[in-house]
Amino acid sequence: MTLRILKPGLQTTVQAGPRQGMRHLGVPASGAADPLSLALANRLVGNRLLAPALETTLTGVAMRFEEDTVVAITGARAKAWLNGGRVKLHRGITVSAGDELEIGGAKAGARNYLALAGGIVVDDVLGSVSTYLPAGIGGHEGRALRTDDLIATNPERNAPDITKTPKEYRPLASTSWALRACYGAEIELLEKDSRFDLFDTNFTVGNRADRMGLQFEGASFQVASAGRLTSAPVFPGTIQCPEDGRPFLLSVDAQTIGGYPRVAQVARVDRHLIGQLRPGDHVRLLWRDAESAREELRAKHDYWRPWLPDIADVI
Amino acid sequence: MASNDADGAGKRIFDCGDDLIAVELEDTRASQALADHLRNSGQWIECVAGIASCVAQFDNANVNLAEARQRLSSAIDDVPAVRTEESELVEVPVCYGGSYGPDLGDICEQLDLSRDEFINLHTSREYRVDMLGFTPGFAFIGGLDDALNVPRRPEPRVRVEAGSVGIAGGRTGIYTLSGPGGWPIVGRTPARLFDAAARDPFRLHAGMRVRFFAVSPDEFDAMVSG
Repeated sequence: MTLRILKPGLQTTVQAGPRQGMRHLGVPASGAADPLSLALANRLVGNRLLAPALETTLTGVAMRFEEDTVVAITGARAKAWLNGGRVKLHRGITVSAGDELEIGGAKAGARNYLALAGGIVVDDVLGSVSTYLPAGIGGHEGRALRTDDLIATNPERNAPDITKTPKEYRPLASTSWALRACYGAEIELLEKDSRFDLFDTNFTVGNRADRMGLQFEGASFQVASAGRLTSAPVFPGTIQCPEDGRPFLLSVDAQTIGGYPRVAQVARVDRHLIGQLRPGDHVRLLWRDAESAREELRAKHDYWRPWLPDIADVI
Repeated sequence: MASNDADGAGKRIFDCGDDLIAVELEDTRASQALADHLRNSGQWIECVAGIASCVAQFDNANVNLAEARQRLSSAIDDVPAVRTEESELVEVPVCYGGSYGPDLGDICEQLDLSRDEFINLHTSREYRVDMLGFTPGFAFIGGLDDALNVPRRPEPRVRVEAGSVGIAGGRTGIYTLSGPGGWPIVGRTPARLFDAAARDPFRLHAGMRVRFFAVSPDEFDAMVSG
């Protein structure tokens, strides 16, 4: 065993890439809520970019290592300590058996990622090792980590060169976000003024904010249906507007079918940011048509490719 | 939607996101048939049928919207005819009412039916699985008697038990996981319809035929422990 959990935090899970190609069976994507930060952590320890790692939620985590290895922390703005001494995010950290590592609470952003050289050993369930909590599948026994859980890493790991993420590749966790988004399937069910306001409102993320989705507060929209539609497919990034008029943004664990008007869809280029939104954060939606969103996605891929060659598999 | 027009056998095709393209179809069978056809082509990331639509997700870093539209349009033209051969019949035991179906009393009152009349109506016909969706294995089962048409609950329940059988909008739905849910619950099945560890984790698939039969609480318990 590589490490023992001392403090599990609010919700720490093992996450890797998404489950793909199973939405027609009702199986959500799951996977890292912020896959870019997962990839950055894995890059520093010599793993493939979507190898399983620990994902924390708001509160951080503490652990003791039972063998020597190399780890890296990315994601939300947070402090971290190795045996009580500060260590930095975005660099490889050599740890020895008996060392204790703590990641503090997130100061901005919502989730940190801790990658371990070799990756965490967990079973594949329905096409991914990622934890999907509502069904209790994937990851570590299908659940969030608890005190004294033991985490194993693959012993056949490459000893990575100790390195750090170049400055221009360290995403800044903010309390204020802009998400590029396209019109959704039922945009026409919003009154004309509401359609304009959807892209001209400073939303605040509500307290209902988790891996399934996030409530947007700060504006209420007029929906021209009874608010309910025939059940239709929804995806991570879909923004639905129920009859109470308050938009709801779906995240990685979102259900596959929804019954409320789909008013917008966060574009693929910015979908990885959703996992860092936390209650109280400010959000604006920036309208894009499909073609400009595609151009901006390709530009983002080009920007990241020198550091993360397989970036197109990540975001 | 940024653009929409009719092509692909006169169907309305429209984008609903930078990597999502949708088509409206006449019913669940047509939606399912197209989704299956698209999935078999291996050209799409996800192909999901709704009640009267199909949405496909594509890799828009490599495929532009015009190409995706072209692919979808030609797939609509050569989707195989909906299969009419007999599909598998699955008999699903349900313990109606009581703590297993907390909304049965209200529904009977609303529909002016006795409990037995409700159970007779619900168990007397054969249904068809329209789709799986919402959460893993949740089955939308079509063909409910018009006399049993009720809306969803105005406020979803915070927790519905796994196995709960609900009715809403002309369909029966079976919850495979415990969790929040908005369908009025009339009973619960002891059958395990989703088991991630099984070779086929999904007992029901779209297109299968379903019949319900009533069991007593004692029979329910025996089936669960058996």
